[in-house]
Amino acid sequence: MITLNNIEKVYQTSTIETLALNNINIDIKKGEFVSIMGPSGCGKSTLLNIMGLLDEPTKGDILIDQKHVEQYTDKALASLRNQKIGFIFQSFHLINDLSVLDNVEIPLLYRNSSTQSRRDAAREALEKVGLSNRMKHFPNQLSGGQKQRVAIARAIVGKPDIILADEPTGNLDSAMGNEILNILLQLNAEGCTIVMVTHDESMAKKTHRLIRLFDGTQVY
Amino acid sequence: MLQHLIKLIWNRKGSHLLLIIEIWASFMVLFGVMSLVTFNLDNYREPLGFEYEQVWAIDLSRNQDTVQTAEKITQVLQKIKSYPEVEKVSQMSSNSPFSFSQMNSSISRKKTSTLSDIYYADENFDDVFDIKMKSGRWYQASDSVAKNKPIVINQKTADALFGTENPIGKTLDDNKIVVGVIDNFKAKGEFTKNEPAFFQLMWPHSEEGKIVMKLKSGTDANFEAKLVKDLGNMLVGWTVEVSYLTDQRQNQHNMALVPMIVFSIIAGFLLLNVAMGLFGILKVNIAKRREEIGVRRAMGATEADIQKQFVAEMWVIATFAVLIGLLFAVQFPILKVFDLASGVYWVAIVLAILIIYGLVTICAFYPSRQAAKIQPAIVLHES
Repeated sequence: MITLNNIEKVYQTSTIETLALNNINIDIKKGEFVSIMGPSGCGKSTLLNIMGLLDEPTKGDILIDQKHVEQYTDKALASLRNQKIGFIFQSFHLINDLSVLDNVEIPLLYRNSSTQSRRDAAREALEKVGLSNRMKHFPNQLSGGQKQRVAIARAIVGKPDIILADEPTGNLDSAMGNEILNILLQLNAEGCTIVMVTHDESMAKKTHRLIRLFDGTQVY
Repeated sequence: MLQHLIKLIWNRKGSHLLLIIEIWASFMVLFGVMSLVTFNLDNYREPLGFEYEQVWAIDLSRNQDTVQTAEKITQVLQKIKSYPEVEKVSQMSSNSPFSFSQMNSSISRKKTSTLSDIYYADENFDDVFDIKMKSGRWYQASDSVAKNKPIVINQKTADALFGTENPIGKTLDDNKIVVGVIDNFKAKGEFTKNEPAFFQLMWPHSEEGKIVMKLKSGTDANFEAKLVKDLGNMLVGWTVEVSYLTDQRQNQHNMALVPMIVFSIIAGFLLLNVAMGLFGILKVNIAKRREEIGVRRAMGATEADIQKQFVAEMWVIATFAVLIGLLFAVQFPILKVFDLASGVYWVAIVLAILIIYGLVTICAFYPSRQAAKIQPAIVLHES
């Protein structure tokens, strides 16, 4: 589903060159739930951004469904993100001036879907994460756990094949964290491929596979 | 998407209120300036109705002289006619074309009346100004013995008093008889409205001290100096002043153009201010919304989608402002404020709207382009 070959990422300023990722080789199969762990600054988020086509590697190949994406245009990459990938972030990244329902609809705005079908899909996604009673609320009226469930609903509303979650439980207490993990496990059970960055060993153990990074290098 | 943007802006209406007021104020000022410009250009497109090139006006002020003034003016007319440089001469009231003198009065027929400019002039006036008759004829000196005073009216007066009737040969309430109709007569220049006017035969030996004359082409200031000297010798103690109608026309133009230019400059500064304000607000707005841009990019928005979104947001804000402005602006054509044709206001409204949207688009273009270039991975990591 996602294949990374010899990925290298270098951040360069006029004075400093930082090697964020070095020789990363990962192959994630359809239906897998993979967690990525490592100390802060080891390149986990950079790796997730590269997998999610939000960032370009300095070297190496990215294949999504066996197709090289290095030469894709901005439009083609955006379309791929929109159709295939759902993102969940540690700090939720909800738009505070939009209601829960409007936030969840966002990915569908970039498809040619009608208002009614967007509404229906957003409602369905919110029902799935147990927030159908909070549709008209605004993000600042929700708890951290509820915000993350909205973010999950937003990630799944377009029925993507892959969900990339960057420390989805990082800002939540353990009870809420477990609740979120259970939703992710449920989504995975339904066939969704999930890659999750986490600091929590116990959560990582519940996934199919663990990838460890250290100083930008894949440890095992 | 539009619905989404309207909702987003509506939910942020507090922070957009000042911007809406600023655009609304600009729209109203633009509407005013565009009304003035449209009104003047509309007038400019209407022909003057007479020729003024090579026409000079002579003002004769008798000062303290009260002895045989009519005879002296008649002698002056004879003298002027004798110059080979002079093609045609006419004596008229002080309100010659492009002068700053105006005479008007209400004229009526049956129960209809109209306020009309009056020009007292002799039978040669139409020749000096090459005025074309629309129907009938210009009056003759011999008409002065008739029972009714012969007059020539312009089409505006004919429309006001006679409607679709043929006015030739018809009398007005105070013993005036219409002998001819001309088309336009815009004595105050191209930028003024074509108002109702009529010309009445000046009785022989009138004491009116205004003479207008058409000169042969190439006549220059040497002749002017000679003319002033000769007339000065004939009219001792009088003041003789010669003016070119081309210069007087320019003065009239300045009267119309100066307010237009002043208002346009004020409006220009206001628009520049608004443009800089919009530009600044949008840049700040984008800086504050980097996280949102990152999220949208992650969710599938292309660079073009982001750019379109920010431009469209400004259009939505401008639409709110323009809609409020329209509530005020449409009252002008509906109530016919300042007695201007409704068309002037409608054109001004359309122009003001186009300028506002153009301005908003230009101001939104560069900042929204910058927004589109924001790297989602970086902003999502920052926040």
